Parts: sequence; structure tokens; C-alpha cells
Amino acid sequence: MNPIRELAATISRRQWLRASGLGLVGASMSGWLPALAAQQAQAARRHCILLWMNGGPSQLDTFDLKPDHANGGQFKPIATAAPGLMFSEHLPKLAELAEQMAVVRSLSTKEGDHGRGAFLMRTGYRPGGPVEYPTIGSLVAKELGDDEAELPHYVSISPYALFNPAAYSPGFLGPRYAAATVGAASPAGAATDATTYANLKLDDLQLPGGVDAAQADRRLQLWDALEQGFVADRPGSSALAHQLVYRRAVRLMRSQAASAFNLEQEPTTVRDAYGRGRFGQGCLLARRLVERGVPFVEVTLGGIEGNSVGWDTHQNNFTAVKSLSGELDAGWSTLMRELADRGLLASTTILWMGEFGRTPQINAQGGRDHFPNAWSAVLAGGAIRGGQAYGRTSADGMAVEDNPVGSSALLATLCAALGIDPATQNTNSMGRPIKIAEGQPLRELLA
Amino acid sequence: MPLPRFATFGGTFCAVLFFGVSGDFTPSAASAEPSISQRVDDLLAARWKEQGVEAAAPADDSELLRRLYLDLTGVIPTVAESREYLQDSRPEKSRALIDRLLVSPAHSTHLADVWRDLMLPRKFDPNQTAGLIGLQNWLRRQFVDNRRYDRVVADLLVATGGDESGPALFYTAVGLKPEELGATTARIFLGVRLDCAQCHNHPFEKWTQQDFWGYAAFFARLQQRSRAAAGMRLVDADSGEVFLPDSKSAVPTRYPGGAPVESPERGTRREQLAIWMVSADNPYLAPATVNFVWAQLFGRGLVEPLDDFGDHNPASHPRLLDELAQSFVASGYDLRRLYRSLTNTRAYQLASRRAGGPERPADLFAEMAVKTLSSEQLYDSLSRVALQSSAAMSQRLADPQRQAFLIKMQTQSQTATDFELGVPQALTLLNGTELNRAADAAQSGLLAALEAPFMTDGQRVEIAFLATLAREPRDSERSRFVEYVESASPDKHKEALGDVVWALVNNAEFALNH
Repeated sequence: MNPIRELAATISRRQWLRASGLGLVGASMSGWLPALAAQQAQAARRHCILLWMNGGPSQLDTFDLKPDHANGGQFKPIATAAPGLMFSEHLPKLAELAEQMAVVRSLSTKEGDHGRGAFLMRTGYRPGGPVEYPTIGSLVAKELGDDEAELPHYVSISPYALFNPAAYSPGFLGPRYAAATVGAASPAGAATDATTYANLKLDDLQLPGGVDAAQADRRLQLWDALEQGFVADRPGSSALAHQLVYRRAVRLMRSQAASAFNLEQEPTTVRDAYGRGRFGQGCLLARRLVERGVPFVEVTLGGIEGNSVGWDTHQNNFTAVKSLSGELDAGWSTLMRELADRGLLASTTILWMGEFGRTPQINAQGGRDHFPNAWSAVLAGGAIRGGQAYGRTSADGMAVEDNPVGSSALLATLCAALGIDPATQNTNSMGRPIKIAEGQPLRELLA
Repeated sequence: MPLPRFATFGGTFCAVLFFGVSGDFTPSAASAEPSISQRVDDLLAARWKEQGVEAAAPADDSELLRRLYLDLTGVIPTVAESREYLQDSRPEKSRALIDRLLVSPAHSTHLADVWRDLMLPRKFDPNQTAGLIGLQNWLRRQFVDNRRYDRVVADLLVATGGDESGPALFYTAVGLKPEELGATTARIFLGVRLDCAQCHNHPFEKWTQQDFWGYAAFFARLQQRSRAAAGMRLVDADSGEVFLPDSKSAVPTRYPGGAPVESPERGTRREQLAIWMVSADNPYLAPATVNFVWAQLFGRGLVEPLDDFGDHNPASHPRLLDELAQSFVASGYDLRRLYRSLTNTRAYQLASRRAGGPERPADLFAEMAVKTLSSEQLYDSLSRVALQSSAAMSQRLADPQRQAFLIKMQTQSQTATDFELGVPQALTLLNGTELNRAADAAQSGLLAALEAPFMTDGQRVEIAFLATLAREPRDSERSRFVEYVESASPDKHKEALGDVVWALVNNAEFALNH
């Protein structure tokens, strides 16, 4: 079905009146609307958090160590809360939570280029061909999103889409299912130091520079008069859809729900526990969004200084991975603990992955190169049978010896954990029915 | 469908003869044009009468002006262009405007945008900028010269050039896969979904697996020569086959609905397909093309979906489609003439539905459909408001700001009447940089012009409306907006005008072509 017909079909008259009632008269930019009770109703819903490791994280230095082989490198394994499951010594906080985590050690894919690998892992389909496959966040948001929610269904924090925008795109689902982004406009900048917190804001939620709330109110009153005049004069779905979408955007700008993005409401002890960088503060934001019912949140870890391809460790792998692990360990572990404290971990499934793994051999620059043959991802939290490693690589890390897993099976498993049938079909603009994921869920990973 | 034979290619015909030939060798069809416009209107009027439907009133000058600019040049008119048209009192002014727009550089650029969109699976991939520019330039050259459309298609089917000098992205964007190229070319040039039979035959469908794979086989020998300093080249190899799924027997080439054919004397497989494409043996190209152009102008096709011609899906106006296609063939596949004929019809110049008016079924074309501006039309129109210049934007495909906007806004629907944007895009339009360039006192060319002395605020508000909606404000709007601007303190005067522009460009009336 095409998006606008679908929109029309899903918006009941009651919803429409409610959205219209939140028009511009009486409300203002300078005051907040009262909180909506809908927030509490979200608790039972499922959520997904994708922790995207931009550049391709080294499996040998995180979740699949090879201490008895020259390929293993400098890092030591440590025991975790799950008997027999070992993590890197630089992930001690996550090690305490290993009972909630399932490491997939047998990913085996065929794309070793950043853009192509990102497309494969994020859509479940290989790049090329005429179908614009949607990214997993758009697919999940479409299934789990609540049309009455004020907040966007898919929020992507610090995305780095330069290699391949198609890997981040809603594809044939259309722009309505695109991610609302946080900090997408400044991927390289916004470095943080130890004394300040990363500044994360929903892109374009703030008024443009030089426009204050009073001026915005005046503008919107002018806008509303024109818009109402046009819609009243032109019955038809396009004008109505335009008005509805704009009113929702304005409602978001004015809503209390948007205060989810105001991390200053959190105590400094909490903010510090996550880590002050973009990733740590992004994890904190993810927790706040999940609390408010957002079904899909993505947090990118792409570097310490700013956001780029930090995991692309062709040189000095160990220095870089050690420091990235510190960010990862603090942000991710605090996220899981806080979700658990709120009773939300059981309904929130976390997927940790990048576009591919790294070569087991260490190159002359002390780095590791692109390696899609045998690598790792991690599933954690809701509906995941934690405390296990699934699949196995050889002693030198060069090959998968047991239960090879491709991207479609990984995404199908994620869907199953979220209560979504991965065989659910969407139809592209050429009328082709296309499954969310072609693969079968891996039952051993599901609780 | 019987079509006049205008050319037949025998076995001795050499493909090289017409590949690369440019210009018209149109049969004398100058007198055919008024009659086909009239014919369209007569056939539609007869249907309206039969159905007891009264057509909408004619669009007013402003509506038609803005519609023609958007449909023919992809961008709204400037203040000066609007004023000139609205003040012109000649009865034939719309015909004169159509003639002028059809030979403007912007028209060829817009047609290149439209066809590029149609041809590529992924519209705005910044990693493909060189290829995009190559395809765009190639298409644009064809439209500037108004080359016979059948020859354009034939040339595309044998194209070898890539990067910034040729259309090869059309092939490389789908990885040169014969089945993808077969599916795409059948959909956009023949208007049929051969690929529905890709995996197996369907009991009630005309097309068989042999039809699909036999057609795809024309692309089986295409190869990409490795990138050299000279740019990317496509070559036609001497071997290469396609196979039915799970089968080892090669499928011979065949034209849709025909028997297997091998005619190596006609050249490479792609050359053979090109020769068939322009021959009278191909009954599909002309109807598919007029239907596509019709849909661009009227918001829906005579056959809908556009790529689903067949007995199972008859045209809403079969005779109209037939006669248009025949006229198109008789004119020598003259696209410019087709656009001129259709935009000069009474039907194209009708108003869209107004409140209180009757509901008219969309497939009667008794009122104009309300179309949503494409993301390219929207960006370019916003730029035009801000800059107030009709100068061509030569580097626009490589402009990173424009690319980012298009990626964020890119839509999927093939139906121009759908409004697809969602909340994230609306936030960008409300608060992002694009809109603010037009409304920002420090950046907007329009606002700078409005600050000229000796102008009343009434005149300023009028210009703001002309610059965005191509119309004058209604009395109620004029009084409201003038009062708003006048009540601002002198140091906030320009800011208040910026607020007016902001409200106008964010409006549904701006985002829609009505």
C-alpha cells in the first residue's frame, strides 16, 4: 500500500480530531503541553536498541579472543558472570552482565567494503539491484510504532551515513519511516573532552538560529491561517496530509515528550556513569527514549573525538580498541543496568554489530584490516537467551567452524526477539512483496 | 494495436546509421498538433457527458502559470515572470508561454531529471555523482535537440560511455544484471511487467518465463571494461547467456510475445534489441511513452500503474490512448510536440477540486489532480525564492547541500498525487537551513529586494506572494499580512517580512502543484 493511503487508513477520525485540536491557537512555543498519559501505556511494548560500531569492530579484541594464538594480540581474556564465556579485559563492566548477553561468534558474510558491508548488515540484503531495501530501524519502527506517539518511531544518534546513505535509508517504505537523527549534521566535529558532556540534540527540533520562541509563535500563527485556508478550500488527501504532518512536527517541537532530548535533566552521577562522550550520552538518550515508548533507537560508536570510522583500525589497533572499549563498556553496561532497574530490559532487545570484523593477522602497522569471513555480533536483553556464545571460529580465528550465520539470519533473530515475524512482507513501489528478513531465526539464541 | 508503419529495418540495415544521428526528420505534422489537442478534449468531453459529470472550471491565470512552470521546467516562476504573465492581456498568452517554456534550457533539464528518476533504482547516491552527471548530461542533450524519442531509447540501449560523458550508470546501477535490465527496460519503455514471470509462469498472465528470460538475454553479453583513465566503458562481448532459474539450458533471445530469434547480422544483441525497439514490430513503445507523459502532466496515467499494460488492466480511455499514440508515432516520436499538445488541452488547464464542488472520479480527468512537488522541484523552488534568479544551476547535481536535502526527502511513490513526507522531514522544512535561506534577513535575495525604499508594505506582501505562490494575496490575506508587517518595530521590519516568506514557503499551497 502506498504511504499516504496507509496513513489515511491508519488515522482514525478520532485521532485526526485530536491532532487537529493540538493546533496553534492556545498552545505556544514558550510553554509545554501537559504530559500525555500515553507514556505509561508504552511499558508493555517491545523496543530495540542497535549499537552500531562504525568502521568494523575487531572481534578478536572484544568478544572472540584467541589468547593461545599469535593472531590473538595483546589483550587478555577475562571471565564473565556466565561460566565459560570470556570477554576482553577491557570490557569488565559488560562481563558482569554476560548472563544477559549472547555472543554470535560465527558471522560469515561476503562484503568487505564499508558501504557495501553496512548495507548488508543493516538491511539483511546484499547491495546492488533495483530494490531499495529499507534499513532495519525503519522496518522495526513500522511494525512497532504507535501512530499516536508524539516522539519519532526511529531515532538514530550520531549516524555516519557517508559511506552509503542507502544503508541508513527507509528505502521503499518511504520517507515517513526515516530515522529522526541526532547529530547527523556534524559527524566529524563536536569533539568532547573530559570536562564537558557531548551535546546531543534532535536535528532540526530546535528553532533556527536567531529565531526565538515568540517569533516562532508569530510565524506559526501566520502559517496556520494560510494552511487552514488552503486545506478548507482544497478537499483532498495531499493538502490534508501536509497539514497533519506539519502539525505533528509542531506538536513534537512543543511537547513535553521532546524533553527526552534534554539530558541536563539527569543527575551528573548518572551522566558520568554512561561516559561523557557521544556514545555514552547517546546510550543515556536511548534509555530516555525507550522509557517514553520509542520502539527503535540506534547509537553509533564511531570514535572518541567526534564521530567517524573509529573501529577501522588499520593502524594501531590495540590503542584504538582499548580506548573505544572504555566508551563501549561504560555506555552499554550502564544502559543495560538502568533499563533493568526500570523493568525495561526484558522488553528491550539490544544488537551490537558493525559492518564486518577485522583480520586475525596483525599487519605491519599493528593494525587489523577488513574481514567478513568470520566475525562477531552480540544480542542482549529482551527475549535473548544470554550467557552463551553461539557458533565457533577456528583457533587462529580465520574460519567459522560451527553454525555459520549471515546477516539475514541475524536480523531474523532480532525480529523474533522483538515479536515480529521476519517473514512479514512489505511491497515496494514496483509491486514486489519483500520480506523483512529472508533468514530463519536462530532458536538457540531466543529465550 | 495497429500503428502506422513509418520505418522497417531489413536484414541489411546497419545499426550504425542512426546511432548518434541527432535532430528531427519529422514527417510534416505541424498541422496535426491542434487537432490532437482538440481530439483529446472531444473524447474526454464525450465521456464526461456519458457519465453525467460536469468538468471543473478553467484554472485561473496564476494556477495555470505555476502549474506550467512546475510541469515543464521543474521550478516555480520568479516574481518578474509571474508579473509579466499576469499583466499580459492577450487571449493566447498561455499558448505563447507554453511555446516559450518548451524551448527554455530549464525544460530540457527538467525532462532529464524526470527520466533520470525513472531510470535509476536509487535516485541520489552521492557516491555516484560522476555517473549521475553523465546520465543527466546525456539525457539533457537528447531533449535539447528534441531528438526522436524512439532513437533516444535505441541509443540508450546500445550506449557504451560512462562517468561524466555517458549514460552507463543506467547499466552499472543494477550491476549489469540481464534480468534487472530486462525488467527495467520492459517497464519503462514497453510499459509491461515481464519480470512478473521471472521465477515461474502465472496461469492468467500473458507473459511467460520464456518471454522474460528471452528478453533479458539481449543484455546477457554486456560487460564493464575495467576503469581506465579514459573513464568507464561498456562493451558487448561475443558470448554470454541467461538461464532459467535452476536450469542449465540457455534461453535464446526473443522479443516479448514473439518466437526465439537470432539475427547476428543485425549486430550485437543490444543492437538487435535497439533495432526491434524502433521498428513497427514493436507496438509497445508509443503507448507506454504517451501514457508516461500524460501521467506526469495529469497526475495519473490513462493506464495505471504506468508499467502494467495488458488485457487484464485496460486503459481508462482506450481510444484516447490509441489516438495519442498514433499521433505520437506520426509526428516522428516528437516529445516536445506531445508536451505542447497536452498542455494546450482544455483538460490540462482545468482547475483542481474546490470545496463545495462535486466529487469527480480521478480517472475521468474532469478536474486537475493535485500533485506533490518532487524533492527536486521543492529544493529548486526554494532556491528560486531565496535567489530570485532563473539562472541555470549548472553544478546542482554535485551540490552537497542539495544532495543532503534530496537524500532526506527522497520519496518512493510513483504516484504524483501522494504526499509522502513525515515528521523528520517536516522538522527540517520548519527549522532547517533551506527554508531559512529564503526567510533569513541576512541571506535572502528576496528579502533584500523587498527592502527597497519607496515600496509600501502592501506591495512587499504582494511580491512575497508572487515569489512563492505566483498569485496576489486575497483581500483577507493582504490585510492580515500587511498589518503584521506594519506592526513590527522599524528594526524588526525585515524580520517580519521574513516571517511572511517563511509562512508562505512552509505552506501546503507551496508544496503542492494544484
